[in-house]
Amino acid sequence: MQDRFLSYALLVPAFVIVVATTIYPLAYSFITSFREWDLTRQRTPDDFVGLQNYAHAVAETGFQNSLWVTVIFVVASVVLTLVLAMSLALLLRRRGPLHTFTRIILILPFAMSPALIGVSYRFMFNPEFGVLAVGLGSIFPGLKGTPWLADPDLAMAVLVVTDVWHWTPYMTFMCLGGLASIPRETEEAARIDGASGFRVIWEIVLPQMKGVLLVTAILKTIFALKMFDQVVTLTGGGPGTSTETLAYFVFNVGFKWYDMGYASALAWILTLIMMVISAWYVRMLLSDKNTATA
Amino acid sequence: MTEVRLVDIEKRYGGFLALPKQSLTIEAGEFLVLLGPSGCGKTTTMRMIAGLEDITSGDVLIDNDRVNDKPPKDRDIAMVFQNYGLYPHMTVAQNIGYPLKLRGISKAECTARVLEIAEKVELEELLKRRPSELSGGQRQRVALARAIIRTPKIFLMDEPLSNLDAKLRVTMRAELKHLHHELGVTTIYVTHDQMEAMTLATRIAVMREGRIVQLDTPKKIYSEPVDLFVAGFIGSPSMNLIKGEVENGFFVAKGVKIPVQFSDRCDVVLGVRPEDLEIVERQRANIMAPVYALELTGDATLVTIKDGATSICVRGPADFEANIDEVCHIAPRKPEKLHLFDKSTGERLNS
Ligand SMILES: Nc1ncnc2c1ncn2[C@@H]1O[C@H](COP(=O)(O)OP(=O)(O)OP(=O)(O)O)[C@@H](O)[C@H]1O
Ligand SMILES: [Mg+2]
Repeated sequence: MQDRFLSYALLVPAFVIVVATTIYPLAYSFITSFREWDLTRQRTPDDFVGLQNYAHAVAETGFQNSLWVTVIFVVASVVLTLVLAMSLALLLRRRGPLHTFTRIILILPFAMSPALIGVSYRFMFNPEFGVLAVGLGSIFPGLKGTPWLADPDLAMAVLVVTDVWHWTPYMTFMCLGGLASIPRETEEAARIDGASGFRVIWEIVLPQMKGVLLVTAILKTIFALKMFDQVVTLTGGGPGTSTETLAYFVFNVGFKWYDMGYASALAWILTLIMMVISAWYVRMLLSDKNTATA
Repeated sequence: MTEVRLVDIEKRYGGFLALPKQSLTIEAGEFLVLLGPSGCGKTTTMRMIAGLEDITSGDVLIDNDRVNDKPPKDRDIAMVFQNYGLYPHMTVAQNIGYPLKLRGISKAECTARVLEIAEKVELEELLKRRPSELSGGQRQRVALARAIIRTPKIFLMDEPLSNLDAKLRVTMRAELKHLHHELGVTTIYVTHDQMEAMTLATRIAVMREGRIVQLDTPKKIYSEPVDLFVAGFIGSPSMNLIKGEVENGFFVAKGVKIPVQFSDRCDVVLGVRPEDLEIVERQRANIMAPVYALELTGDATLVTIKDGATSICVRGPADFEANIDEVCHIAPRKPEKLHLFDKSTGERLNS
C-alpha cells in the first residue's frame, strides 16, 4: 500500500507541471474559442457566442487565404524535402571517408535557428547586394535584378527553399537510418535476379522504406503546418498576404488585433487539421505491418 | 553449358585473409559441392563468383570470359542465399516470379511458371502470403523456387535445404538432382549434410580456412581422404582415428594390434571407418576393449568401445547385444580400408 501511495506521490510534481503548462492552456483556449474576447476592451473573456468564431473563420477571406497558403507551402516543402532527403541518403549510404565527412557537415543547416535562417536568406535574396540574388543573376542573366521577395510566387518559393534547406539534413539522417535497416541480401538478390540499379531502388529499396518515409512525412507535415519563424523574419507574410501561413495568421489575429476568441478558434482549427492528417498517416503506417522484415 | 574458373583468387576483409590464393575449375555441367566447417569461406567463394564481393586479386572466368568487373545482373546466375534474401514487401508468388518479371515475360506465362515451380517445392497454398508470415523452411523453399524458376548459366546454392525437415529434404534433394539432370546447368552447392554432398555431387571440394584441401569425386573423398582433416570431416559417424605406431608390420596402440603393410614408424594415426570394422570372435580380434556405449540407429548398432584414451566406434548388426563394460572383440573387414596418417602433418602415408 505504502509503495503504491509513494509512487503516486512521486508523480504529482510532474503531473502538476503538465496540467499547468499544457492541459490548462489547451482547455482554456478551447473554451475561449467559443467566447467573444477583445483584449483591447477588456481583460477577461466576454460572453459565450457558440460557434460564431468558427463560422467567422469559414467565411473570412483572410483565413481562407492563409489556409490556401499553408496547403501550398506544406505540399511543396514536404514533397521537396522528402525527395531530396531520400536521394541524398541513397548517395550517402555507402561507406567511405568522403561520405562520412559529407554526412557530418550535412547536419549544420539543422543546427541553425529558423528565425536566423529567415534573416540570412532575406539578406542573401536582396536584389542589390544579396549573394544568392546576385549570384543567380550572374549565372542566369535573365534573373538579374529579380525582386525575389517582392513577388508573391517567388516569395513563396524562397520560403519553401529556406524550409527545405533547413529540414533536408535531418530527414536525410532518418532515411539513412531506414536504409541501414534494409537487409543487404534483398538488394543483392535483386541484382542477381537481373534488376538494373534503378529497378533495385524503385522496386526493392523504396518499398521497404515505406514505413520510414511515412514517419518522416508525418513529422515534416506537422512542422510545415506550424511554419512561423521564417515567415516573420523572411517575408513578414508578404508581399500582401501571399506568404501568410495559418500559424502566422493566428498570431496576427491574437497579438496584433487582440481578438482572442477568434484566434483561439483558429488555433483549434489548425490543431484539428494536424490531428486529422496524423491519424490518416498513422492508419497508413499500421496497414503497412505486412512489410515487416522477413 | 558453362565452365567456371577461379584463377588465383584471393579475398581479404581489411587485414583478415579470408581466402588465400585459390584456383578451382568447375567444369561445364558439373555439380560441385563445397564442403567445410563454418567460416571456411564457402559463402565468400560463391559471392565472388556471383559478383557481390570484390575480388582482392585473381580472376573469375565464366566460359573463358573474365568477369571480374561485370555486374551480377549480367552474369546470368541464379542464387539461393544462405539467409534467403526474400523481398519482404512482395507475396510469395511475386517473390518467385520476380526474375521473370525483370525479363519482361508476360503476366500469364509468369503466373503459370510460378504455379508450376511452387508445386515442385510444395508451396502452392502459400502463394499469397508475405515472407514474414512463413516458417524458416517455407522461406527457404521460396528462395529455392525463385532461383530455379529460370534456367541460368550457373546455379549458386548456399545451403538451400538446411532448414527443411528430413523428409522434405530428401524430396527436394531428388528434385534438385532431377533438375540438374534435365537442364545440365553448372551448379555450385554448399551443404553441411554429408548425404546431400555424397548424393548430389559430381565432385566435392573440401575447404579449410579458405583453402581447398581436396577436390575429388565423392567416392574418392570418402575412400581416400588426403589428410586427417578430410578423414575426420567426411562420414557420419566419423572415421575412427587411433594414435599409435607401426612396429614389425603391426599397427599398435592400447588394446589394438592390427597388421599393416608399412615400414616401422612412430607417431602415426590409423584411420578406419566404423562400417569397415566388424565384431568378431575372440581368436580373430585385432582390437579388444570394454563396451562404452551402444546406440541403435535402426538398421545397425553403433558400438563404442573405450580403453584409456582410445575410443573406437564400430558398426555392428542391429541385433547385437552386449553389456556395458563387457569386453568386445573387433577386427577390420578389409586391410585396404585402413588409412595411415602422419600425426604431426596430418598427411596420408599409405596410398
Ligand atoms: N564482410 C565481412 N567482413 C569481414 N570478415 C568477413 C566478412 N564476411 C565474411 N568474413 C569472414 O570470412 C570468413 C569466411 O566467411 P564465409 O561466410 O565465407 O564462411 P562460410 O564458409 O560460408 O561459413 P558458414 O558455413 O558458417 O556459412 C569467416 O571467417 C568470416 O568471419
Ligand atoms: Mg556460409
